[in-house]
Amino acid sequence: MKKIIVYCEKIPHTDKMSDVSYELINKAYKVAQESKSMIENEDFYITAVVLSSEIDKKEIKKAYSAGADKVVLIKSDSFDIFSSYVLANCFFEYYSKNPADVIIFPATTTGRMVAPRVTTMLDTGLVADCVGLEFILRENKLRLAPTRPTFGAELMATILSKKDPQCATIRPNTFVFDLFLDKEGVFEEFSPNSYSETRFKLIRTVMDKTVEKDSFEGAKIVFAAGFGLAEGKNRVYIEKLEKLAKVFDAKVASTRKLVDFNLMPHKNQVGQTGASINADLYIAFGISGAIQHIQGMKNCKTVVAINSDNDAPIFSYADYKIQADAKKVLDDLYEHFCK
Amino acid sequence: MNIVVCIKQVPDVDDIKWTKENNLDRAQMLSKINPYDEWAIDWAVSFKDKFKDVNITALSMGPNQAVDVLNYALAKGANRAILLSDKAFSGSDTLATSKILSRAIEKYLNDFNIILTGQMAQDGDTAQVPVSLAQLLNIVDAINVDEIFNIDKNSAIVSQKIENEINILELSTPCLIAVNKECVKKYQPKIEDYIKAQNTKIESYGLEDLGFDKNEVGILGSPTMVYRAYRPQNNKNPYEIKQDYTQKIIDLLLEAR
Repeated sequence: MKKIIVYCEKIPHTDKMSDVSYELINKAYKVAQESKSMIENEDFYITAVVLSSEIDKKEIKKAYSAGADKVVLIKSDSFDIFSSYVLANCFFEYYSKNPADVIIFPATTTGRMVAPRVTTMLDTGLVADCVGLEFILRENKLRLAPTRPTFGAELMATILSKKDPQCATIRPNTFVFDLFLDKEGVFEEFSPNSYSETRFKLIRTVMDKTVEKDSFEGAKIVFAAGFGLAEGKNRVYIEKLEKLAKVFDAKVASTRKLVDFNLMPHKNQVGQTGASINADLYIAFGISGAIQHIQGMKNCKTVVAINSDNDAPIFSYADYKIQADAKKVLDDLYEHFCK
Repeated sequence: MNIVVCIKQVPDVDDIKWTKENNLDRAQMLSKINPYDEWAIDWAVSFKDKFKDVNITALSMGPNQAVDVLNYALAKGANRAILLSDKAFSGSDTLATSKILSRAIEKYLNDFNIILTGQMAQDGDTAQVPVSLAQLLNIVDAINVDEIFNIDKNSAIVSQKIENEINILELSTPCLIAVNKECVKKYQPKIEDYIKAQNTKIESYGLEDLGFDKNEVGILGSPTMVYRAYRPQNNKNPYEIKQDYTQKIIDLLLEAR
């Protein structure tokens, strides 16, 4: 029996779990299904662990339907303060009594705060920001083989852990939660010792107004602007794209270059250092397709790429190729819908 | 007040060269200081104007050529520089690297108040070493820090970004801060700074100095190993729309809406 723990994340100040938690549970379930036939009589057991004072019952059901066999609530009132020390110690205490073969963490800011503390306590490895997850057979044992981009995503590396547990972090929106199971599971509560953190004080929390929360969440259509829409420091074509987006209730994504040139805010950036999206339709206007950007959009279902360069890398990730001036195509669409 | 700044020399990711076998051709690539770490130096130096007794030590693990980034740190205003270099260190993953750094800090910089690091390194991009280092030294940490409002011998006040919230935190020293934003105050060293920096001898320590067995660090001491590495390729063959593309886009849009 291979035991997988998914470290789930709650949405601060609520009793809900964040979407990435279900994406990770669902991915763990799918990988388990694919891998269990590799060895005779092998099976997997997936435990979703969430640290919170409270958890909505609907969230527990949802975790089962994503593939969790068990949901564990590590219960404490101190989790809304983002002390990695407290979070890591409470999780570690649970883990010491309930060890596993694999732990998967979300690569959110809190995940990044907690995961390296936990793996350092366990003296084991941690593979960050994985975009691929599988098990491989090595010396007759199933080993986790996560794949991650490195060197600014120019190189993909599959990394194994020589020690147990084998741990990985995965960014939000890397995998899609799309397999809903009709299944029940076991719910358990765990009360950790109280860890007081006197070396760390939260003075106050303010909302970050520069970031629109989850600006791509639930977006069906995304229009993506690349440097091909730039006119020096002029935003005229980007504004046209924004107006067109409004007509279709679509979101506007940006490449890093437009952000660097202050033509788009960072919250719209899609890619390695921005958001990862999984829209139904993604239309790239004047985007060349640097691998860093591809990393953020490759989970979109239908991709249309418009670029005047016949050899633009974006075309090899597209379902539809339009070799044309993106500005011209945008003008036509703008004429059709916005005039 | 004693500040340790951890810095790393990285290959320039905007200038990647490949061998015929599709491996990274490191010898042909330019090296530079990891930009996030340069910000960490700037933040440390910015407090020199404020307090008289600020002592900054730049600490780096890497091959001998990493003295370049340490010299740069000295020119920018660090008082002391330490290189951790040994053949046995090469191939260290984030855990082994953190162990080497923490051992060196315990041994040579035990009177530190604050450790400053960049949020991540541009080559590995894991952001794990700062947190792992804080855990090994058993100190508090704040990562994703946008701004350091104040530091003194007893505490540091920082602003930390977590998803869509900004937390203002007070950390008791000793503590570790990983910065994610540039410091407004930046000092670009001049020729005379580099000349002056030459007067400071860079200390260098290896495996034996730190009291490690060679199985504890480097490839042997790293819990992770690279199983395979490849350049990402995708040869999707798109359907080319040669005419009436506006109409086709409209169809797709109406379908998806």
